[in-house]
Amino acid sequence: MMPKLRRLRTASPFQVILITLFTALALFMSLPIVFIFNHAFKPQNELFLFPPRFFVRHPTLHNFETLFLHASNATVPFTRYLFNSLIVVSLTLVSVVVVSTMAAYVLAKYQFHFKQLIMSLITLSLMFAPETVSIPRYLVINGIGLNNTYLGHILPALASPVAVFMLVGFISQIPSDLMEAARIDGAGHVGIFVRMILPLSVPAIATISILTFQGVWGDVETSTLFMQKETMRTLAFYVNSLLSGLQNNVAGQNMAAAAGLLIFIPNLIIFLLFQRRVLETMVHSGIK
Amino acid sequence: MGSITFNHVFKRYKGESRPAVNDFHLSIEEGEFLVLVGPSGCGKSTTLRMLAGLEEISSGELYLDGRFINYVSPKDRDIAMVFQNYALYPNLSVYENIALGLKLRKTAKHEIDVRVKRVASILEIAHLLDRKPSQLSGGQKQRVALGRAIAREPQVFLMDEPLSNLDAKLRAQTRAELIKLQSDLKRTTVYVTHDQVEAMTMGTRIVVMKDGVIQQVAAPRALYDEPANVFVAGFIGSPQMNFLNGTIEKSDGDYYFSNKRMRLLLPEATGRNFERAPKTVRSVILGVRPEHVILKRGSTEEAGFITGLVQMTEATGADSYVYVQIGSYPLIARTDPEQTYAAGDVVSVGLQMHKIHFFDESTEELVGRGEA
Repeated sequence: MMPKLRRLRTASPFQVILITLFTALALFMSLPIVFIFNHAFKPQNELFLFPPRFFVRHPTLHNFETLFLHASNATVPFTRYLFNSLIVVSLTLVSVVVVSTMAAYVLAKYQFHFKQLIMSLITLSLMFAPETVSIPRYLVINGIGLNNTYLGHILPALASPVAVFMLVGFISQIPSDLMEAARIDGAGHVGIFVRMILPLSVPAIATISILTFQGVWGDVETSTLFMQKETMRTLAFYVNSLLSGLQNNVAGQNMAAAAGLLIFIPNLIIFLLFQRRVLETMVHSGIK
Repeated sequence: MGSITFNHVFKRYKGESRPAVNDFHLSIEEGEFLVLVGPSGCGKSTTLRMLAGLEEISSGELYLDGRFINYVSPKDRDIAMVFQNYALYPNLSVYENIALGLKLRKTAKHEIDVRVKRVASILEIAHLLDRKPSQLSGGQKQRVALGRAIAREPQVFLMDEPLSNLDAKLRAQTRAELIKLQSDLKRTTVYVTHDQVEAMTMGTRIVVMKDGVIQQVAAPRALYDEPANVFVAGFIGSPQMNFLNGTIEKSDGDYYFSNKRMRLLLPEATGRNFERAPKTVRSVILGVRPEHVILKRGSTEEAGFITGLVQMTEATGADSYVYVQIGSYPLIARTDPEQTYAAGDVVSVGLQMHKIHFFDESTEELVGRGEA
């Protein structure tokens, strides 16, 4: 603590202004998070207060209680949605990491025909808004009969141009000498990939893991479009339906508040776990 | 064990008209310390990488111990390579770095342990085994990279400018250690460098390359004393050999080297070089090393001496180099550091005629020497 204080004391007026401004900005940016946490514990009367309040006066666990109780009354329990989400998220995460790193390794480190074309296609696909491909996606998923299966959730997220794009940039900075040294040491393509490329790409993998996690965890598209059975839909869909008036809007508000927090927490945990690695990715400009 | 044969090896890159390596034809003996030297872009590293299997051979054959290895993958060639930037695996500890090659070759665990520790003690890095490469200094990284190569006990060591990232003092020290190591291990070593001092001190044989073509292959001393052409003569030796353009003339049975500013009588033996030579050889380049230039104070009428003006002097401590201008011809002379010359001093310059070289002006090949 002491050295930090001393550093503050030696800060120039300009730095003091900057620090104050950024602190204020950070506090402002954290307001929604503060709101989510408080909102989840508000009793019914505070939920509908106008003007709304940020902080909870009389915290209660009632919202969570209703959420779980309501769920057990409904045809599909809350836990089923949670289970689906966990399955889908973990499988997608693993497969996206595997597929993207493999693709990126080859694109970054090997020369082959049509490499430029493939890279251009990947860049091009970054430009599409997801809505524009919903219909073709539906046709594909429906065509191969993946409706109401976990694969129907996973497959659309599997090819992640953002992940490949980021990883290509990262892996191409790993010196080729390392791979050559490994080749001479006796490693094959798989050996180099597993022993060198994967461990050295951990910061980038962490980043794409967060992005993928957030994308999939919060995604309602696959549940809406490809899943007709309620038992195959995910938590994000369920929470969304509570909020969007598919269910009883007024009665749903308290459950929505609790579910909102529940769905937010994993995001926070994942981010806190990986944030140091993410920063590394951003700082990383090359391995010396 | 460890003899290498290059049979007319070429390396052509797509879209380049000139081959990067042009007709590399050479046999490397078992246990030899061969140095490939030349300016950057001369193809020396490409040659090494072809030998390592990291670069495809466009045409020609490569043999290791009589085995045709053009299409053998690097891991099956029984070679180890030390890279310029060490290429240590940053995610592995020093121990794991050294052990990886053995592990991938399915060496027994206790055997790996014995070998890693032995190598570590030879290279004095035993106390660093648990560290990560990022925690090592340049010199230590260099040792780990060497250790990684040695632990595998390959037939051939390849080294691609392994010392160029070290500071001058450490480089000299490591150079000496490498020489000792090689003589202890007696393994064939192919060493690439652009530094002629490294080449001269380390190699049992030196290959000088330029533009992908071998200029000369010789032992260090022979390379210095009998350079095959102007390029080799200028590349080996620091400061470089002096070159003077002129012609060979014959009068009254004696041969003279002459140009606008000088007329030097050649020793009889040297002159005889030109007796049978074709007529085109008459335009020549005279080459003389700075240590074979004699400097005297003041101008003199003595035969074989030419008057010049001192431009500057360079004192390195042990020697001092005097830059003299004779008309339009510059010349560097090595002198005793006790003798000081100032810019503008008038000096007489003589050459040790038995130490001079003559190169043909158009082909730049050696055509005659003082000692013949």
